[in-house]
Amino acid sequence: MILKGFEIRGQERIQRPTPQEPFTRPGDGDGPKAPNVKRPDPSDLLKRMRRVDPDQARRYRQRSGE
Amino acid sequence: MTKHHAAPGISGRIFGLETEYGLLVQGSGPEELMEESRLLVAAYPGVWAGPWDYRSEDPRRDTRGFRVDHLSYDHTDAAYDRPDRGSHLTGEQQRSDRVLANGARLYNDHGHPEYSTPECRSLRDLVAHDRAGERIILECARLREREIGRAVSLFKNNTDFHGASYGCHENYLCRRDVPFEKLLNGLLPFLVTRILFAGAGKTGVETGGGPLAKECLFQLSQRADFFTEIASVDTLAKRPIFNTRDEPHADPRLWRRLHVICGDANLSEFATALKVGTTSLVLDLIESGWEPLFRLRDPVKALQSVSRDPSFRWLVELDDGRTLRATDLQRIYLRDAQALLAGGDVDTDWTLREWERVLADLDRDPFAAEDRLDWVAKRKLLETYIEAEGLWWEDPALRSLDLAYHDLDADQGLYAALEEAGQIVRLVDEERITCSTQRPPSDTRAAVRGELVRRFGPEAARIGWSRVGFKGGDRPHWAPLPVELGSEGVSALLSRLGAVKTVPEALRCLREESGEVDDPQRI
Repeated sequence: MILKGFEIRGQERIQRPTPQEPFTRPGDGDGPKAPNVKRPDPSDLLKRMRRVDPDQARRYRQRSGE
Repeated sequence: MTKHHAAPGISGRIFGLETEYGLLVQGSGPEELMEESRLLVAAYPGVWAGPWDYRSEDPRRDTRGFRVDHLSYDHTDAAYDRPDRGSHLTGEQQRSDRVLANGARLYNDHGHPEYSTPECRSLRDLVAHDRAGERIILECARLREREIGRAVSLFKNNTDFHGASYGCHENYLCRRDVPFEKLLNGLLPFLVTRILFAGAGKTGVETGGGPLAKECLFQLSQRADFFTEIASVDTLAKRPIFNTRDEPHADPRLWRRLHVICGDANLSEFATALKVGTTSLVLDLIESGWEPLFRLRDPVKALQSVSRDPSFRWLVELDDGRTLRATDLQRIYLRDAQALLAGGDVDTDWTLREWERVLADLDRDPFAAEDRLDWVAKRKLLETYIEAEGLWWEDPALRSLDLAYHDLDADQGLYAALEEAGQIVRLVDEERITCSTQRPPSDTRAAVRGELVRRFGPEAARIGWSRVGFKGGDRPHWAPLPVELGSEGVSALLSRLGAVKTVPEALRCLREESGEVDDPQRI
């Protein structure tokens, strides 16, 4: 698989079966739970990305953290 | 595996997160961030108590049994503290500590608003309180905006892309009787490779050196570039993968506090839970006598090479010369944790199940984890943008999009957009997060701290993780907050506190419950 700027050598990967069980199941008790995931409208995400000021990172300066 | 016995599971351990937020105030520069951060914290509108009990802390004390005479500092950053920029405020006033009614700590940490969650015993509580911290700091920012008429932005990330890094530190209560070397050797390979699922993702490399520095256009971890040491007490410069600061905030004869500083700040609730859940399970393994039969040849190099590997093979070199995929190294921990800890409690079983699933996804197709892992979600977003706009990864605008991923503003942040669109797995609902801005977990000493803040906050002279001092004469009257308190102990103590009406009665109650002799002048 070739992505722009990246080469991913998928054929060299170790292949392992993926567990078929769902992400969460009924009866998981009080452990973390996940709701159903819906697919977004990709155009909305693109619109928001296009609104980002392209110079924002250049101006962003912070103190080193402790 | 070596000899072992059963360990208690995630609910048997106390843990918490402390997150330093990036702060951008329209019209202000980095030299003003100390003051801007202080004023943001001071805008907190809720019930709080302070100041902080700094006498219980000593960041120069090393868990290996010594104390350093000074901590390393960042020379570039120190230039912002020139004498002519000095403040008339004391260090303590600048920090502006607030202990909140939910048991958390909110303060200005070196120019960053920092939120430390209250102590938690469950992953869902931890995630809810971590997100409650986002809401609380964002509310402070909105109040500051109204006050000054300028935009105030907050970023839950770990770099400014100009060489300054700030942390999201994890804290885990550990047994003191486990030798330091066993903790170090057991944890290092895990901490180095857990960025596979705990990394928040970053465009490019910031330090200019190390493995794959020229080839890397996107890496798994925000923080990996900034670590140069294996173990030390430092946090601001010469950062270590294993921080050896010895501040247990509990009885030092019994407990250590593992202070993990090499992690990223996660927006993804799943990544936060998996990061803390897996680390807690590895500590369970180590405390049960388990030891890994391998070591990394160069942990610092391995951290950076895993983070930066564009091939996604993520190979690490062991000290015996073997090379292993980082996913397979993680799987060694997973298999032994499954063998020894499965069935411990619901969080343990959730963590074991999701750990296995994530590693399988990373081997098969990392993008299958885009709904759970920050680095994958960010990378997918950036690829979508690159494709739509016809850009290359080298385009400087991508760093602004990277930063925007971490923007807490629901109308600006890219993670927030994914969440709003339902593209990200959630572990807690909004009601629980809102509730956590006010209420502490019910099964740790944080519940007692929160109750004292709520009922007697104005009468506090000092307040910290392990004790509360009330005003009275020349010295505070101290009441202990035992870390050993569990659900039943908290419930009994709150019940007794509910019946008292004054601070002296509360002090007596707290001391009796902890088995201490009631001596109001005791320090």
